Amino acid sequence: MDKKVAIVGFRMKSAPDLVTTRERLTFELTRGLFDDLGIDRTAVDTTIFSTNDFLDGRTISNVFLDGPAGAYMRDESKVEMDGINALMYAVIRILSGQYSTAMVVALGLTGSQVSPYLHVEYQLSPVYDRQMRLLNELSAAAFQARSYLARYGYSEKLLDEVAAQALSNAAANPNQARKIPGASAEQVASSSPYYEPLRELHCYPPTDGGCAMLLASAERAKELTDKPVWVLGMGQSIETFYLGERDLAKSPSTAQAAQRAYEMAGIRDPKAEIDLAEISALFAHQEPLLAEALGLLEEGKAEEAYRSGDTAISGKMPLNPSGGALGGHPISATGIIRTAEAVRQLRGEAGDNQVGKAEVAVVHGQDGPCAQQNAVLVLGI
Amino acid sequence: METSEATFITPVVPMDFTYNYRIGPYMTRYLEGFKERKILGSRCPACGRIAVPPRKYCGVCNKVMEEMVELPQEGTLENFTVGHVILEKGQLKAADAPYVLGLIRLDEKASLLLHRVEGVDPSRVEKGMKVKAVWKEDVEGDYGDLDHFEPA
Repeated sequence: MDKKVAIVGFRMKSAPDLVTTRERLTFELTRGLFDDLGIDRTAVDTTIFSTNDFLDGRTISNVFLDGPAGAYMRDESKVEMDGINALMYAVIRILSGQYSTAMVVALGLTGSQVSPYLHVEYQLSPVYDRQMRLLNELSAAAFQARSYLARYGYSEKLLDEVAAQALSNAAANPNQARKIPGASAEQVASSSPYYEPLRELHCYPPTDGGCAMLLASAERAKELTDKPVWVLGMGQSIETFYLGERDLAKSPSTAQAAQRAYEMAGIRDPKAEIDLAEISALFAHQEPLLAEALGLLEEGKAEEAYRSGDTAISGKMPLNPSGGALGGHPISATGIIRTAEAVRQLRGEAGDNQVGKAEVAVVHGQDGPCAQQNAVLVLGI
Repeated sequence: METSEATFITPVVPMDFTYNYRIGPYMTRYLEGFKERKILGSRCPACGRIAVPPRKYCGVCNKVMEEMVELPQEGTLENFTVGHVILEKGQLKAADAPYVLGLIRLDEKASLLLHRVEGVDPSRVEKGMKVKAVWKEDVEGDYGDLDHFEPA
């Protein structure tokens, strides 16, 4: 899939409370994107929303966003998954030849308007888990964290170091919601305990946010931007729902999704060929766990990788130079925001978060308890 | 025009409306087992794995499972977490006291069963501990009959 579909522009926004409405945020992001590109709604051949009806408290909630996005009397649909899946649909639509542009709009107001934890609470089995009332998003993540640490004999301090790096990166990034300048491992280690070994600062913060992004065919992309970022490969995979049957210390579905994406992009040695990664790690342990599954970190060597600075913005494999989802997780939009952050890097526009060499990036998005469903993109310039 | 911070309305989405979920024959059988203080699983004819609670198809190889097997009441704590918070309708609150949740292996081939582990100091709980099932005094085929696990 060499240089057939490009990302040509985006607008994103996150905060603990954006003091806005869904419609207003949709309008601001999409109209801002049109203004950036000097287009109007007629230049958008198809729009794909990524929102969550349950969290919106309203069914088929996209039909109320068509107005503010200018998508009425146009081709429009929606996915009820992380926005990275909407982006994949957008790519496929352009590849079909029916559309020369596709806009993805993803948002979640899970900082100010509804609890983010309801998302997983109501994903659980109504005839077992919800009757037992033992499992929730945070306790499930805690089992995964312990399972991962135990597999390689890592100390719990690894979680503090991963979170401190992410939070420091987030503090430097104007797009992030959670700002803790100079966040240290000690500060993370003294935050409130949730479910051991996870503490407050190991976990994503409730966040409002969204992102609108325009994709275009190669021909159309050249008319719209001087700095296209190409989708070189993509893949996704899902594992079984049942937590007690999963090997929580690994993410085989991420590994499979990555393999598909790398094959499409012609990547043979991810460690050598990929310059940075934007990973939807909702909890500290998920960043090294998923980076291993993506083939970016050697299994069992996470402590060395973080301590030596390899994973930092200035390191040889920068992980979440934007600060990742520990800096903000507006449910539905997180994966597309990771994509936008990778685009900033590849265009050399990431400011204080800019990594040295940025020519090929990998982006990851997830859904479900303990990253049950995973999607991977390879982007390049 | 900027939105004022005061302009919230709070329409509560009525999540207490009634759904009549059928629990299906496998879960029905599981709960019937509780009346005899038995923990049942279903065994995969292909890979031999046991799903607890039982289910029709194997989560690993996707074969249909028809054989019900009774699992031992004692097992090993494979994974655990000490909870310092509770989530109630999405609201995160401090727990009255730390509590232990465990993933318990009742058979080498069985999936892990999630349950409360009581009767142990949360700061002393360890992976590999032997634990046993504790039933309610009156069992009636309800989810709550198998009350918790405690050190064996």
